[in-house]
Amino acid sequence: MLQFIKEGLSGRNGQYFLIVAAVMLVAPLIFWKLDLPFAANAMLLCLMFSIMAMAWNLLEGYTGQLSFGHAVFFGVGAYTTMILMLYYGVTPWVGIFAGGLVAALVGLALGVPLFRLRSHWFALATIAVGEIFKLIFISWDYVGGSAGLQSPIVPEEQKLYYLQYAGSYVYIYLALGLLGLELLIMYPLVRSRIGYYLQAIREDEDAAMSLGINPFKYKMVAMFFSALFTGIGGGIYTVRFRFVDPFAVFDLISVSVYITIAGILGGIYSFVGPIVGSFVFVPISEYVRVYVVSRFPRFYGLHVFVLGVILLAISLLAPEGIMGWLEKKGYLRKREEGGEEG
Amino acid sequence: MVGLDYVANAVVSGILIGSVYSLVGMGLALIWGIMDVINFAQGDYMMLGAFITYWAFTLAGVDPLLSVPLSFLVTFALGVLTQRVVIERVLDAPMVSQITATFAVLLMIRYGAEAAFGPYTKRIYVPYADVIFRFGTISLQLPRLIAFFVSLGVAVAFYVFLKTTYTGVALRAVSQNRMAAYLMGINVRKMYWIAFGIGVGISAVGGTLVATFLPIHPEMGGFYALIAFIVVVFGGFGSVFGAYISGIIIGVTESVSALFISPSLKDVVAFLLFIAIILVKPTGLFGTEQR
Repeated sequence: MLQFIKEGLSGRNGQYFLIVAAVMLVAPLIFWKLDLPFAANAMLLCLMFSIMAMAWNLLEGYTGQLSFGHAVFFGVGAYTTMILMLYYGVTPWVGIFAGGLVAALVGLALGVPLFRLRSHWFALATIAVGEIFKLIFISWDYVGGSAGLQSPIVPEEQKLYYLQYAGSYVYIYLALGLLGLELLIMYPLVRSRIGYYLQAIREDEDAAMSLGINPFKYKMVAMFFSALFTGIGGGIYTVRFRFVDPFAVFDLISVSVYITIAGILGGIYSFVGPIVGSFVFVPISEYVRVYVVSRFPRFYGLHVFVLGVILLAISLLAPEGIMGWLEKKGYLRKREEGGEEG
Repeated sequence: MVGLDYVANAVVSGILIGSVYSLVGMGLALIWGIMDVINFAQGDYMMLGAFITYWAFTLAGVDPLLSVPLSFLVTFALGVLTQRVVIERVLDAPMVSQITATFAVLLMIRYGAEAAFGPYTKRIYVPYADVIFRFGTISLQLPRLIAFFVSLGVAVAFYVFLKTTYTGVALRAVSQNRMAAYLMGINVRKMYWIAFGIGVGISAVGGTLVATFLPIHPEMGGFYALIAFIVVVFGGFGSVFGAYISGIIIGVTESVSALFISPSLKDVVAFLLFIAIILVKPTGLFGTEQR
């Protein structure tokens, strides 16, 4: 595992990575000093969607399983963190990871029936699963039903335990840490034998099977990590927004489809594509939402319309996404994909 | 214990609402069957039909029943435009691009309509909205009854169109074998325009009918699109009346199950049914892609 990390940090791509990481670490301080809450909030959402889109891409880009149901894992993660904190007084420091783990278990349970389906049937079934979860949580009183749940209001000295800070500044570092953790796990994973198995399944499932790869087993591995980090994204949502309701967290459009847009826009065949995609589409959407839609509620929906235009443009003009397009044009050197292990 | 008259009422109202589901499902099945493209925006063209009816009624006082052709033609034109600008370019693209392209159309129509019309629920009050017929314990609302017969009429007309006209036969030929149809001198590209136009136009008629007895909203398409998917996988492709009957079965299942379980969970039954069907349905009906 260490050798992959060392390898990833070497060379030109490694230098880019270190520069971007340094900028990300300094940016919230600048936002805080200059008092730019909008920029800080947008950056937090960018990071949250980066974490989830990268997790989603392990299933779509690497394994070829297009999911429109990642709102399920996001919602389960958000609710788990919230319920542990509200009913049992468990700190979100633990709750976020517990949420990820519960989401991963839900993912494994859903994988058993869903991975029997292929291509668009899988995509359709994940949409239906998302709707089922939303409807169940709406009528489940323990989790607050359609009204949802709200974080407890805590005294000043417990704010570290309950992770309650004003604004987005502190949460950016939380999200950065979790994104770092995800990179530490995902990068070795996709560079290892398993990563190549997943790509073989994506390219031709029957051929992969004939070479002795068990597609179901490795799809489940991908599902586990995909759901795990999407659930962790839900935990970040809970601590930041302190309010969880089924209509928001299980929403097909504003969760599942947003994650998909981030992945497609950045490029699904690129490891960092989903992060790039998140950092492009979230600021645009947030800008329109905050500066147009919030001021003129009459135009509610405009921010999603803009996303529709972006998604259409990318689907028609550059289906390989931003990173794929940059590689094609020669602005980025494509990393040599050697099979040193497989 | 639920009384028998409740069940009878639920069955009847299920049939009536199911006839609207059928129209949306038929449109989806036509596009899916002919082009092998899943139109995720199907429910949103239906919403457009409902809003065309609403504006025609509110601005010009046009009776919703008279706006059926209007809503069909406007949506047909939009459908042809969508096909030319979007779908044509992704016909041979990977599945992901096809799905994201139609999802983009969905986002643009649904939220474009929301931004244009406002995020409000609207309702048409037709003069005959409160006319109710009673047969024993069964009561029927006139608008729902009209919707049923109009939907049946549209389905029959569509069936006759597919079976007897040149265009209909050509459409079926294209769906069976695109290359062979092309070699026989059929303009495949034009057939695709017509297929997409009719597919979304029929759904828009469903929207017009729904607008006479249910509130409408720019985001209503999401629910009906999911129902349409259930209708299509249940009824299979190719057969117009297959989709029609299955729409009615879904309507009845939904309204009868609402008697026995909490109404908010009745849609869960429909979605579980959907997943169950695509899991257990044997290979033959769906071609070679599915195991």
